[in-house]
Amino acid sequence: MQLVDTVMSLLSLATMGASDAALAGGAASAHQLGAEPTKMGPLALLIPLLPLLSVVLITLCAVFKVKSKLPAWITVASLATAFGVTVSVWQQVSATPGAHVSFGYEWISFSWGNGVGQSFAGNFSLYIDQLTCYWMLFVTGLGALIALYASEYMSHDVGPGYNRFFTAFSLFVFSMACLVMGDNLLMLFLGWEGVGLCSYLLIGYFYQKPVAVDAAKKAFVVNRIGDLGLLMGLLTTFAVFGTIEYKEIFKAISTGYTSSGIALQGHWSGIVIPALLTAGAFGKSAQLFFYVWLPDAMEGPTPVSALIHAATMVTAGVYLIARMFPLYTVDPNLLVLSGVAWAGAITAFWAATIAMAQFDIKRIMGYSTISQLGFMFAGLGVLTTTGATFHVLTHAFFKATLFLCCGAVMHGFAGQLDLRKLSGVMWMKGWGIVGVAMLIGCLNLAGFAFTAGFFSKDMILAQAFVTPDTKIIGSSLVGWLLLLTALLTAYYTFRVFFRVFVGPVQYEPGDEHHGADDHGHGHGDHGHGHGAAHAPAHDKGHGHGHDGHGHGHGGEFHPHAPGWAINFVLAVLAVASIAAAGLYFVNKDEHGWAGHMMARSSAKFVAPGEHHGDHAAAGHTAPTDEKVADAAHASAGEKSAKDEELGTFLGQDPHKVMYYVSGVLGLIGIGVAFLLHKQGRTQAATSPLAEKMLKAPIFGTLAPHAQRKWYVDEIYNFLIRVPLLVLGHIFHIIDKLFVDGLVNLAGAVPVFTGHSLRSSQSGVMHRYAAGMAVGVGLVLLLAVLVMI
Amino acid sequence: MLLSLMIIPLVAAALVPLVSKRQVPWVALFGTLAAMVPAGSVLTSVNWTAAGTQRLEERYGAWLPDLGIALNLRVDGVSLALVLLTALLGPLCVLGSWTAITQRVRTYYGWLLVLQAAMYGVFMSQDLVIFYICFEFTLVPMFVLISLFGSTNRKAAAIKFFLYTFTGSIIALAGLVYVAWFHATQMSAAPVVASVVNAATGASESAGALAKVSAWTFDIPTLMKTAQQMPLSAQSWVFLAMMLGFAVKVPLFPLHTWLPLAHTEAPTAGSVVLAGVLLKLGTFAIYTFGIGFTPMAAVEYAPVVAGLAVAGILVGGLICWVQTDVKKLVAYSSVAHLGFCMLGMFAMNAAGLQGSLLYMINHGLSTGALFLCIGFMYERYHTRSMHEIGGLAKRMPIWATFMVFFSMASVGLPGLNGFVSEFLCVMGAYQAEPTKELSGLTGGNLGWKYAVLAGVGMIIGAIYILYMVGKVVWGPLKEPHHDDAHGANGHAGAHAGGHHEGALPADLTGREIVTLLPLAVLCLGLGVYPKPLMQVLEPSVNDHVRLTSKARAELRELKGLPAEDRAIYLKNQFPGKGAEGGTGGEGEKKQAEPAKSTGDFTETGK
Repeated sequence: MQLVDTVMSLLSLATMGASDAALAGGAASAHQLGAEPTKMGPLALLIPLLPLLSVVLITLCAVFKVKSKLPAWITVASLATAFGVTVSVWQQVSATPGAHVSFGYEWISFSWGNGVGQSFAGNFSLYIDQLTCYWMLFVTGLGALIALYASEYMSHDVGPGYNRFFTAFSLFVFSMACLVMGDNLLMLFLGWEGVGLCSYLLIGYFYQKPVAVDAAKKAFVVNRIGDLGLLMGLLTTFAVFGTIEYKEIFKAISTGYTSSGIALQGHWSGIVIPALLTAGAFGKSAQLFFYVWLPDAMEGPTPVSALIHAATMVTAGVYLIARMFPLYTVDPNLLVLSGVAWAGAITAFWAATIAMAQFDIKRIMGYSTISQLGFMFAGLGVLTTTGATFHVLTHAFFKATLFLCCGAVMHGFAGQLDLRKLSGVMWMKGWGIVGVAMLIGCLNLAGFAFTAGFFSKDMILAQAFVTPDTKIIGSSLVGWLLLLTALLTAYYTFRVFFRVFVGPVQYEPGDEHHGADDHGHGHGDHGHGHGAAHAPAHDKGHGHGHDGHGHGHGGEFHPHAPGWAINFVLAVLAVASIAAAGLYFVNKDEHGWAGHMMARSSAKFVAPGEHHGDHAAAGHTAPTDEKVADAAHASAGEKSAKDEELGTFLGQDPHKVMYYVSGVLGLIGIGVAFLLHKQGRTQAATSPLAEKMLKAPIFGTLAPHAQRKWYVDEIYNFLIRVPLLVLGHIFHIIDKLFVDGLVNLAGAVPVFTGHSLRSSQSGVMHRYAAGMAVGVGLVLLLAVLVMI
Repeated sequence: MLLSLMIIPLVAAALVPLVSKRQVPWVALFGTLAAMVPAGSVLTSVNWTAAGTQRLEERYGAWLPDLGIALNLRVDGVSLALVLLTALLGPLCVLGSWTAITQRVRTYYGWLLVLQAAMYGVFMSQDLVIFYICFEFTLVPMFVLISLFGSTNRKAAAIKFFLYTFTGSIIALAGLVYVAWFHATQMSAAPVVASVVNAATGASESAGALAKVSAWTFDIPTLMKTAQQMPLSAQSWVFLAMMLGFAVKVPLFPLHTWLPLAHTEAPTAGSVVLAGVLLKLGTFAIYTFGIGFTPMAAVEYAPVVAGLAVAGILVGGLICWVQTDVKKLVAYSSVAHLGFCMLGMFAMNAAGLQGSLLYMINHGLSTGALFLCIGFMYERYHTRSMHEIGGLAKRMPIWATFMVFFSMASVGLPGLNGFVSEFLCVMGAYQAEPTKELSGLTGGNLGWKYAVLAGVGMIIGAIYILYMVGKVVWGPLKEPHHDDAHGANGHAGAHAGGHHEGALPADLTGREIVTLLPLAVLCLGLGVYPKPLMQVLEPSVNDHVRLTSKARAELRELKGLPAEDRAIYLKNQFPGKGAEGGTGGEGEKKQAEPAKSTGDFTETGK
């Protein structure tokens, strides 16, 4: 115990310096839900507009057929600038308490009267509080870094493909900015579907691969199903609140009555609206029934997987719930949040079991993303928005690192991703940075003690036990499930590391030449072109690699080590992954930096019914410091405002023991992975012990099924897709029969020859008139039926 | 100015036989472009976004005075939007047909120009007879275009199209004539009533028409006022007749079966006009007459129509998914899309009507553009079967970009035009709950169930459009075998090749890009900033909202139901429940005596 405390205080000392002035400035201010937001200048609008400008510029590049890396530099520059603007906006927002709004223009806004709820305002405007800043800081920051990485990663496709990639990339950041910064649900929806489009375009980037096209389609369609929930949530919100603007919704919640006077306490909307929004969140964040699209999405280029399908877009669901958290806490029983907690925990566990048995390292990372998102949702569910959002942040860094490392491997080994065919990558020349970065990422993901991932996961785990089961149904069971998942996570993470990055050096190249957008002149040509174009830019070994890579299957294969951009980005991200741990110690009294930010945003947890009382008591006066501290505590749920019975972990204070429990679990997982995948392994194949395990009765029978992903895709196909297709065919046949067949059956008309006008005149007129009559008859019948 | 809109295309059509074959497309192009001049001046001569109903009216005197038929033209916000759409699509159709039509060019472009004139006439006419003549006359050019210039099954398609829609409009005519007859008999029998009606509705210019000795008139505003006085039973019959006629044109499920064939067989420009404007004749007529003439019946039967619309959305969407012919897929998608349009219209609230009107424009833009894209593809490959072609992004990247863009507009992606209208239609349906218990609801007789089903249609929309895009645009390159020579063309440049289409390069030409670009710009523009268009449509929408809510109130009275004003509704439902104290909110909402009872209502009524 003492050891931990000492280390922590040391760490906190080390990171104190890093905590900047902005944090100190905002310390005294608290977020008063429902208070009128401060108006803000147009500076913040630059954050979405800069990526949009980049989209326009790169489109021009495409029009003028630019064949250089210019699009990448435009993207990097615009995103880096956007990051700068975000920092400055954040400073500005921190200086004054409460939320800020920045008006853009009226998008879909109209009115049909002067009364309450008789106008609809879906404006292009921004709502900025600390939650917004928190999200945009890592979206723009990571965006810029990953764009830099992609500038090298996508260099095979310089030309139309490169332009296409960076257009979609910039458009993605624009959409993400709309999603996070919009001041109403409609703008969130704009961003929501916008990121979906970019995800579609980027997953399907290698559009000549049918798998990629199918994966893209699947992602879009599954997301659309969730989007229906979001859309209905939006409409129901409007029906109940008469507005979709956050500030108005929060105002209503803080007073307990909507602007038209509906009492929210006990109102059905307290369950229905959050449930609908949650459906949207599950779709985007690949939870529960909706997760199937995310593993397939790994068909996209790896920078895309890192940015969109690990760090930013898939966390949009977490953002949505954090943003609308006051709405989730209207219901005194917190039913929807219980559901969220369980959904998160089950998804986390489920995805982890699948990840354990996969062989494709990118797929493993994909399933691990689903699993980690499950942790975040469970965190939201057990009322620690701080833990959830902190995990979002740490996960964004370490998972981006992991993906980009996988990408580097894929890039270097001609698309090889099978962990059975790669070994000892770390020991190869030029792969040091990748190996170290991978190790750091893996330690974080495995929850190795004192890493950022350890702290963020720990907050969620501890809170699951702290939150009483009476408040969130089965909260401690959620905690146990998550603990088990944490163990599995450590195992499958280091399974990848021990097999691919350490051990004897051995590899088998993949059969993929990258992308091949618009230069389908065959492999030889491809390699040639590259050697010529990029020889000056790369070191000696590199050029070789390209040639060999281009010729692919032929002669000897040399993996080509990553260049400066990839190495630089990996180094930065690896450092950031470590440094993120320090954020846990900044603002320690408010449960870290994330807690500090959340306490000043709508994500602050206030127990149901407290909004109203709080507001009535405090009115609009500035809250005292005491209240801030209270709110912060409530936000982490450590101390409830009322003297409620808090949960325990085996009779201990979860906050104290969880460090040890999860730390030890992480070590066990890593140890098992070591035994199974490192110990005694002499080549890039399964180790002797693992061989033996696979012959064991339980593992032996389960593993192949887990490897086939528990057949969920097949089940969906059978239960949903096929019936709908059959229905489509049936309708189509009926549609044809409706005009032609029915009449034919009546035998009134001779067979239609269809070739001469004369015969068709005599026959067809008759038939169509009859068909018409049938249609009219059906309408009349329907009309009569409805009237009755 | 308004008349010149109709005259210019007709003059151009008259010029067509006089010029050489080579010049014919140019004449058509200039004819349609010239029509944009008066269309543009209509746009600029009135401040359309100003408050209140803006209109431009021109009277050209009586045509058959005995029957009260007069050539009066009028443009208000709704018809302005549709006139502009027609004017825009005109030259694009000509450009899109430039290389596709090589035989009988005179017939083709001549009828295309006549069609333009007839469509303008439908949207601007203020006289029922003129309206009907124009409405029916659109059939003739379309029949010629399909039957002479379509693909293999064109004759059957043309006849089917003609008979189906013609039969429909005859029934509609019966309804419309009944209204005129009703006016003639009622108004001559009881002129007092007429003046009362007049005073009550505060009519302005039509007062003169009423005062005339001859009771027969076909002046639409006059008839509208009369028709609204008809009892429910009469309204219902007239409404039914009109719906049967106009719903065929829309087409509303299950009267849509003529459409896929007609669309598939028609030449590209024919499909563009058909999807872009001709279908809107149906929705426009239902909006103007179906709701305008018989609001009470429209309110009464809104669930039926909306139910059919939703059925069209779902069934049409699922049918799209099993198509193998690209053009047929897009054709069936029109059934689904127009379902949204009708659903919004019969929600009969601001959101729904706005959405419905926007949908008319947006569908014209995005589906018209999709048909153009498919036409350009067809010109190169002579097939529309998804079994034979695929992965064209590789061969035609510019085309593919447009195709994906317009597909996304069609899917209703936020930021593009389709979303605005689709969202508003669904929102309108949601808001039209039978009770106004919540502030955001407007009353009506649809509700959230309709919205959810339509929302499922949005998912299906994504499925079939992405299915099409995935087959045709993405995937491994697949080209028809017999066109190998052409494939080689694409590789080497545009030189060799004996086919006449060898003149076309692999990817889009400058002409084709110019054809698609205005549509793309509008799709984006109307998606990002729909406000001006919404403002133009607003007065008409508000009129209709007033009309239908009045009709709904009358209908409730007729049925002995309590009025649905929210406060009254709550009082009736929960008398005396509002007395309980509570600290509800700020002072400004304190007048909400019913407000508190709402809270009680929602608790008890759950």
